[in-house]
Amino acid sequence: MIPVHLVIAPILIPLATGAFMLFFEDREHRLKTILSLASVIGLVIVATLLVIRVNSGEGPAALVYLLGNWPVPVAIDLVGERLSTLMLLVTALLALPALLFATDRWQGAGPHFYSLFQFLLVGINGAFLTGDLFNLFVFFEVMLAASYGLLLHGGGLPRVRSGMHYVGVNLVASLVFLVGIAMVYAASGSLNMAEIALRAESMQGFDRPVLNVGIAMLGLAFLVKAGMWPLGNWLVPAYSAAAGPVAAIFVMLSKVGIYALLRLALLVPSDGIAFGARVMFIGGAITMVIAIIGVLAAQSMKRAGAYFILMSSGTLLATFGLSRPETTAGGLFYLVSSTLALGAFFFIVDVLDRERDGASDVIAVTAEAYGDREDVAEEEVGSLMPGGVAILAVGFGLLAMVLIGLPPLPGFLAKFAILTSAFGPITEANDPAIVRPAILAGLLVLSGFAGLLTLSRMGIRTFWQPVEPLSPRITIRETAPILFLLALLVILVIRAGPAMDLFRATAEDLHHQTRYLDAVFAAEPAPSARDGGR
Amino acid sequence: MRDGSLLLVLILLPFVGAVLAALLRPNARNTEAWLAGSVAGGGLLVTLFAYPQVSDGGVIRYVIPWIPSLGLSVTLRMDGFAWMFSLLITGIGLLVVLYARYYMSPQDPVARFYALLLTFMGAMLGVVLSGNLILLAVFWELTSIVSFLLIGYWHQNESARAGARMALTITGAGGLFLFLGLILLGRIAGTYDLDGVLKAGDVIRAHPLYSTVLVLVLAGALTKSAQFPFHFWLPNAMAAPTPVSAYLHSATMVKAGVFLLARFWPVLSGTPEWFTIVGIAGLSTLLLGAYFAIFQQDIKGLLAYSTISHLGLITALLSFGSPLAAVAAIFHMANHATFKASLFMAAGIIDHETGTRDMRKLSGLFRFMPYTATLAMVASAAMAGVPLLNGFLSKEMFFSEALEEHHETILDTIAPYVAVAAGAFAVAYSARFIYSVFFGPKPTDLPHMPHEPPRWMRFPVELLVVICVLVGVVPNLTIGPFLRSAVISVLGPDTPAYSLSVWHGVNLPLIMSIASILGGLALYWFLRRELKIDADGAPGMRGIDGQRVFERILVAVSWRGARIAESWLTTTRLQPQLRLVVALAVLAGAWAMAGSWHLVPPVNLHGLDPVLGALWAVGMVCSVAAAWSARDHRLSALILVGGTGLVTCMSFIWLSAPDLAVTQLLVEIVTTALILLGLRWLPKREGLPPRKLDLMARYRRGRDLLIAVLAGTGLAGLAYFAMLMPRPPSVGDYYLEHAYVDGGGTNVVNVILVDFRGFDTAFEIVVLAIVALSVFALLRRFRPAEDNLDRPFQQQEQDANDEVRRDREVGDTLKDYMLVPSVIMRWMFPAISLFAAYLFLRGHDLPGGGFAAGVTLAIGFLLQYLAGGARWVEERLRILPVRWIAVGLLFSIGTGLGAILFGYPYLTSWFQYVEIPFIGKMPAASVLVFDLGIFWLVVGAIVLVLVAIAHQSLRTRTRRSAAERQEAA
Repeated sequence: MIPVHLVIAPILIPLATGAFMLFFEDREHRLKTILSLASVIGLVIVATLLVIRVNSGEGPAALVYLLGNWPVPVAIDLVGERLSTLMLLVTALLALPALLFATDRWQGAGPHFYSLFQFLLVGINGAFLTGDLFNLFVFFEVMLAASYGLLLHGGGLPRVRSGMHYVGVNLVASLVFLVGIAMVYAASGSLNMAEIALRAESMQGFDRPVLNVGIAMLGLAFLVKAGMWPLGNWLVPAYSAAAGPVAAIFVMLSKVGIYALLRLALLVPSDGIAFGARVMFIGGAITMVIAIIGVLAAQSMKRAGAYFILMSSGTLLATFGLSRPETTAGGLFYLVSSTLALGAFFFIVDVLDRERDGASDVIAVTAEAYGDREDVAEEEVGSLMPGGVAILAVGFGLLAMVLIGLPPLPGFLAKFAILTSAFGPITEANDPAIVRPAILAGLLVLSGFAGLLTLSRMGIRTFWQPVEPLSPRITIRETAPILFLLALLVILVIRAGPAMDLFRATAEDLHHQTRYLDAVFAAEPAPSARDGGR
Repeated sequence: MRDGSLLLVLILLPFVGAVLAALLRPNARNTEAWLAGSVAGGGLLVTLFAYPQVSDGGVIRYVIPWIPSLGLSVTLRMDGFAWMFSLLITGIGLLVVLYARYYMSPQDPVARFYALLLTFMGAMLGVVLSGNLILLAVFWELTSIVSFLLIGYWHQNESARAGARMALTITGAGGLFLFLGLILLGRIAGTYDLDGVLKAGDVIRAHPLYSTVLVLVLAGALTKSAQFPFHFWLPNAMAAPTPVSAYLHSATMVKAGVFLLARFWPVLSGTPEWFTIVGIAGLSTLLLGAYFAIFQQDIKGLLAYSTISHLGLITALLSFGSPLAAVAAIFHMANHATFKASLFMAAGIIDHETGTRDMRKLSGLFRFMPYTATLAMVASAAMAGVPLLNGFLSKEMFFSEALEEHHETILDTIAPYVAVAAGAFAVAYSARFIYSVFFGPKPTDLPHMPHEPPRWMRFPVELLVVICVLVGVVPNLTIGPFLRSAVISVLGPDTPAYSLSVWHGVNLPLIMSIASILGGLALYWFLRRELKIDADGAPGMRGIDGQRVFERILVAVSWRGARIAESWLTTTRLQPQLRLVVALAVLAGAWAMAGSWHLVPPVNLHGLDPVLGALWAVGMVCSVAAAWSARDHRLSALILVGGTGLVTCMSFIWLSAPDLAVTQLLVEIVTTALILLGLRWLPKREGLPPRKLDLMARYRRGRDLLIAVLAGTGLAGLAYFAMLMPRPPSVGDYYLEHAYVDGGGTNVVNVILVDFRGFDTAFEIVVLAIVALSVFALLRRFRPAEDNLDRPFQQQEQDANDEVRRDREVGDTLKDYMLVPSVIMRWMFPAISLFAAYLFLRGHDLPGGGFAAGVTLAIGFLLQYLAGGARWVEERLRILPVRWIAVGLLFSIGTGLGAILFGYPYLTSWFQYVEIPFIGKMPAASVLVFDLGIFWLVVGAIVLVLVAIAHQSLRTRTRRSAAERQEAA
């Protein structure tokens, strides 16, 4: 395929794969596994190529793809620039292990798992790439429709119940989304994001408030998806009910909401400060508080994991709410590391949950409350963990370190990147600008502490003192995804310098939206395209 | 290797060793010990080798960039002070490895132990060698984590788990604060480089955020060094294997806190805040630690509290802010490390050889292990500060510094008294340890018969004790130059003149020393009987189990409190969530409108057509009525919703949008029919209690009504005013102009759908496909509620009627009750199919298109299912909806890809008019193929949902008959 069309490949590859697999029964497990894996590996390659291409400094900063070969404001455009290609890469890198993990036993738990999984990727990738507001809505719907199906995957009462709430809340959010699009269109007469941004600059009269209301509605819809308190109550039950690999890929879903928010908020105003930045910051901070409470209160690992997703949403919102390129770059570092870590976390939890019943989680807390010091003779000889448990234990420990933000793993580096840029060089005394960074810093420390308390309790109970002897039957297809993500995290540490440069460049692009606009408006349809019959 | 790469070797060695150790066979204890020993020994050699470069204020640096844009680099930096610590870490590390070889049980799988020990060594070296603040934080937290794993090494023991968790919680949390403090420090100084920060002391102390930074940094240092009130984790950490305690809790980990204080002493000290916080912490820890130590029954407990007390002493010295005190502090760090490590090892030997560490059980061990006893006695004497031993020298310096005036506060005044009292306590607990363990009658009921330990297990103790004595007797010949290098590197030009000689003449500090020794011995003499039989812990503190208190607080705050807060702040119910979304949408709208209300154009109701108005009134009534009756009368609610849909449909016609009207109508039909089919399986509503409207319910409804009205009118009003505005030039104009010229269709709506915005359509149908698949997946697992298993009331009625009548068999009525409609419906199928084809073909120019055609054909199938039942239809038609969906999707993808083959972007259209026999001139556009894909997919998706619902009745029937059979049998 010639490079021009590479931009659309992240959408078409999973779509074609998903559609093609519908021809086969679910019992053709091997074929579907191979096809799906091929598709996802293809996505990894394409996303990598795109990231390299966009960051290589050759040619325009963004690859713009005009669908149907219509001219710019008319055509639906896909825009592969730094941020969207980065998100594509993270998605692909998370999807690969999730899929591999699912092939081991989850794929058989319900019909059409493989196709739904591919369609979910279609939606996510499309949402990242599109430069058109209504098209964004369409891809959100693709994503949500597929996620409804995947959430229900495996059946059972908790999934159906939380899935029902998930559907309900998200449908209302979609309605709000649609209202927002209508308002924006009414005010600007366009659906193309770049065109909207351009027209917003010179908007007169009542159009301005209409546009603002429209964007506020869009923001609200995105905040529902991102899980901001109090709109994110659906998230924890849904994510903690989902099957392991599904929960892992769902980690990316909440990031789509944040991505859309970031894109839109920075695209509309022209002075570099994101639209509604204050709301984002306050909402993010409150979400962090809620997530801290939730992490502390969580009994099961899955629930804790879901609250960690909320925590990362809150952190990202608060960070992006500061609306400074350097902090945004730190936020992107955080986004990547927390996404990969949470994905792996859900794998481990899934394997562990298979081995235990929920009772042991409850015992862990009550034992702590009432003490369980049985007077057994203390034995001063170490014990050896079985290999499978040791892998899980080490993996759990490392991921806990990422989630808490302990060094030297990326969670720590991300928090450092956020905080050092949030404070900036402190020269002035009692600078009011330090209030928000200080709040963020406090919450980051607190969230780390909450994570430390909860994860150390869970880890100790699970690996050091299991209620029933732990001997998980863990296969290579379940181990490999965990190790893969851990390896990525380690690479992120070693190559933190170049990674940070990439995030910085991305954030700079984001905060200077003229680069985006210039790239879009410079795009030309392929010449003599309409010669066909006209 | 005269450059800094020496440092790289030093820091990498332990980590590489740890990896190797982890890879070895778990039980290869000799290999493990040799490996760990050579790593530590190698480190020691490298350290010694580096000395010439750091003596007299020299600094070695080695920089590897990490995140240059954030000022974070792997900067390794060794000066005299760091060198002293490196020597302690590697030297004592080597001894501990040797000791552990004999201490750990042969059955113990020690690979993990040595791997962790070496990792710890590396982390600790990292702390002292960091030349970058953030790198320091990295290694700092790493020591916390590894110490957690080491304390919990015997994790089958409850005390090990609890102790490990407590240590992690306290030191880890402290580390988080320290991290924040270091960031602020670096931000104020303008660099994270340690050298830069050390130079910026004046700027930092004058900065308004100084006290914030100080508190944060101290939170890290004081927790790590187990200073009051964070001291309680250290005694609980004694659950660790004794080699770990000897290493971490005497020489290294706890020293990290005071190391940090000394490291930043030039930057942070000398202010009243520093003196107050650090001084209070240091002096109280010094006194309380020594006091508690007297009353411990576990030897390791005694040593732990003694360690706390000695760390307090160092902290107190650092708090004074005078250079001489800092010299004493640095000196005491080294001294304490030597005598305390040897004492921990001796305690381990006693434990190892007798099986207990309880001083109530131990007695008269001198006769069994005279050699070890002598060593322990010398080390204890150093701990107590007896002359001619190293502990005496630094304590003497402490006494003289305590006497000096530093800041005129009460703290300064009481310092000498605290010093003497703590000194007396130290003598008392040292005496107690010696006397109760080694003297007195022969021990009874010991688990093992005591004897001397193996030769090489004792060697580390011997060596350390020899050092204690040498330093104590000839300080200037032994530690003198090294101490000088360390002091210069911390104090720089402020380095005071000091003397390390043993004899300073009769002065006040000497008198204080004598007083504390005599007082301590007297104190022990008075307490000795009670101590022998007493319970564990200091008087007045026995009822308070620090660990339990800690855990209770944790549970109360972190868990119970959090659960209550969680239940308050979040909800798992759907209704409040939906209400929140709508309410916040109203608020968000109002917020976005803020300041723009004056721009609202005047209301203009001219031109409102009464007929349209009436139509809309009907629609509104329908929708409100539907909501009203949804709870109890589902069928009527559904019909009313249909009414709203029809009004919408008519509005489209009114506004000249026939395409939308057709689509709306067809979609209305098919959704209503599908929901009708599903109603049967919903839980029954008969027998529900009548609605009770108490006050709360009224309030809730009123509130919800308010939100609904606000949202509705707000949206309607906004839409209305927006439409009153002059229309901005929009993309719609382009569509109108170019639909025929460039899109080849006169039906602009269709051209928009399949060409201009064909990409949207392509994925809208994907949504439809996914929804159908999901519904199928959901309903495949669905089992209706018990009360729905019976056949509908009407069918039962008919069967009962049949049974009564003589001329009819049971089931006769039901068999053909829909005879006439079903015949009509069956015959309708070809007509509907033809109509679908018609809609499809005319789509590009006139209302219709693939979507409408697909829905139409699906309605045809739906009617067949209604007429004949699922079984009848599927016996006659090949219903393969999933395959149809797949075909549809591939058609749509294929059309798009076709353009790519010709070098144009995805979905670029191509068209030409062609003559088709009988039909006439047809626009043969590529979009027609695309539309065909839409058509197939729509049919497939709707039929798939239909099948999913229709198969419910089949499945229930089989289940029921199975149940009946079972009953009969």
